[in-house]
Amino acid sequence: MVEVEEIGKTFADKKKGAFRAVDGVSFTAQPGEIFGVLGPNGAGKTTLLRMLATILEPTAGTARIAGYDIRKDAQSVRSSIGYLTGSAGLYERLTPREVLAYFGELYGMRPDVIQTRMNDLFDALEIHEFADRRCDKLSTGQKQRTSIARAILHNPPVLFFDEPTSGLDVMAARSVKQFIRRCRNEGRTVLFSTHIMSEVEALCDRIAVIYNGKIAAIGTPDELRARTGEIHFENVFLRLIGEPLDKELDAGGKIHA
Amino acid sequence: MPETPVAPQLTSLSGWGRALVVFRKEFREAFRDKRVLFNTIVSPLLITPLILGLVVSMAKKQATEEGKTRLEIALVNSEKAPATVATLKEAKNADFTPMTREVAEKAIRDRKFKVAAILPDDADIRIAAGNTVTVTILLDEGNQSSQTTANRLATAIGERGQAVTGERLIANGLPLDLARPFDTKEEPIKGGGNVAMVLIAGFLPYMLALYAILGGVSPANDAVAGEKERGTLETLLVSPASRFDLALGKFLNIALICLISCLLSVVGLLWPLYTGWGGMSEITKATGGLHLEPFTILVMILVQIPLATLGAGLLLAVSTYARNQKEAQTYLMPVILLVSVAAIMSMLLKSDSSILYALVPVLNAALVLKQALEGIFNPAFFALAMASSFVYALLAVAFAKTLFDRESVLLKA
Repeated sequence: MVEVEEIGKTFADKKKGAFRAVDGVSFTAQPGEIFGVLGPNGAGKTTLLRMLATILEPTAGTARIAGYDIRKDAQSVRSSIGYLTGSAGLYERLTPREVLAYFGELYGMRPDVIQTRMNDLFDALEIHEFADRRCDKLSTGQKQRTSIARAILHNPPVLFFDEPTSGLDVMAARSVKQFIRRCRNEGRTVLFSTHIMSEVEALCDRIAVIYNGKIAAIGTPDELRARTGEIHFENVFLRLIGEPLDKELDAGGKIHA
Repeated sequence: MPETPVAPQLTSLSGWGRALVVFRKEFREAFRDKRVLFNTIVSPLLITPLILGLVVSMAKKQATEEGKTRLEIALVNSEKAPATVATLKEAKNADFTPMTREVAEKAIRDRKFKVAAILPDDADIRIAAGNTVTVTILLDEGNQSSQTTANRLATAIGERGQAVTGERLIANGLPLDLARPFDTKEEPIKGGGNVAMVLIAGFLPYMLALYAILGGVSPANDAVAGEKERGTLETLLVSPASRFDLALGKFLNIALICLISCLLSVVGLLWPLYTGWGGMSEITKATGGLHLEPFTILVMILVQIPLATLGAGLLLAVSTYARNQKEAQTYLMPVILLVSVAAIMSMLLKSDSSILYALVPVLNAALVLKQALEGIFNPAFFALAMASSFVYALLAVAFAKTLFDRESVLLKA
């Protein structure tokens, strides 16, 4: 479970002065749920996820991940989460097997547990074929499958995905989305940040729309549609952040009572 | 696919344990990098001896050539001293060309002649009277070749002088040894320093200081700046390893590679001297080969530890501060320049210099090494140099750790 309470982050900028990237955000995500964080670039999605993953320290509020407070018990939080971003790379001179063994050791897993877990993941994600090939020789899709295996190796109850499909082709993006669904079906709590509306519609059980560092709305896709009276999620999003629709560009169905 | 998530199956791995995990992975990865293999192993073991061999063989070749070539000397006032000229012309390997002083000076400036000999107006009278004739040698002090020729000319004139003395003694029925009551000859002591040691004492501190930095450049750049660039640092930061564990693991790897690089630079400098490769046997044969005392070897190894630690601390700090590897390379330039200056100073300073130099980083280790190679052990200098080097190394590591804790530094890309 992820419980976020009035969390905020202010960056000190020499030129612009204090900049509030995230401002008083609160929500709860349940196990077996994909909770989407939707917002345009620069809305504060990555900063929010980085705070929840204990990479950044909040300047206000706090959160509990799998029961651990991010401020008081960062190490337990980190042991309980898997984290995957679209920009995450791999160690080019190591093989997928070595990358996974490295992270398994960092997570303090016993060697036999690492081996068993690695074999399961290699089966599930079809990694065996390239498990001993250096990462710099892998295709984008193979790298992404390795990154997925790395994120879930320690069997975390909570998973964070920060724009995980950015830069991927259709097939690789598809396998990431399938993986996110499987995580939900296994009872994990999934936080999924994106700016791509179609992904939100296809995957998320509930969505927090974030804009200028604040939550503009929270609800299921249908609840948000009902609230705005729009069918297409792009229009739903524009309505929620208070942007006017373009008659030609944003032409789409309305919900009729 | 994975089973239903449960509490993570973790063992109680300590911070040190995680730092060691990071260290092992970094070390394994580093030695798969061709840049590391070249800078840490190939360069100190092969490139250094190659450069050294070239320097020695060039110096030897130049010395041989200069010894063989005939001296071309401009001679001023030759018309006023025909008898003296006749005596000088008997000198071996020397040709004299008469000219005026003005022409001779211009010829030296134009590098047509290297030196000129000016005979005094009364040279013949003084020779005939058995007095000393002072020959002035005109030279260009900014021209090394002119200086070398001047020395050779002085030696040649001196030899002619001895020959004239001999003739005078014989003419007076006196023995030749009368003009030379003392003679000297040199004999090296057993177990003392030798030419090879002087060469090592000159080169080694410089090599060590440079390799303490150069050997670790690639793994250090890769360690943090490279991880930022590839997007792997974020995945590390969400692992249970603390930032201290990460910084420590990475630091240990860079320090070990710097140390390997340092040690191999010693091996690279010594093996040609031991095997006589590239004409090095000429340097060592006079004393029956190169002999290093166990104490010297111990000091050689000891001084490398703080050098490598300081180098690794500096490199890690630079890599952590930089956004990417290219930026890290740029920041490294002044660091390498400063280290080079300190190392070059060790070549200029005498090994028994003021104890205050023991406080100057890099230079202090270089001087301790120089002292050891010259058979000197100054306990106060050694202790102060080692202690201050470790303090500087700790400061560099602490600085790197501080940078590791700063979100703005670690996450800038």
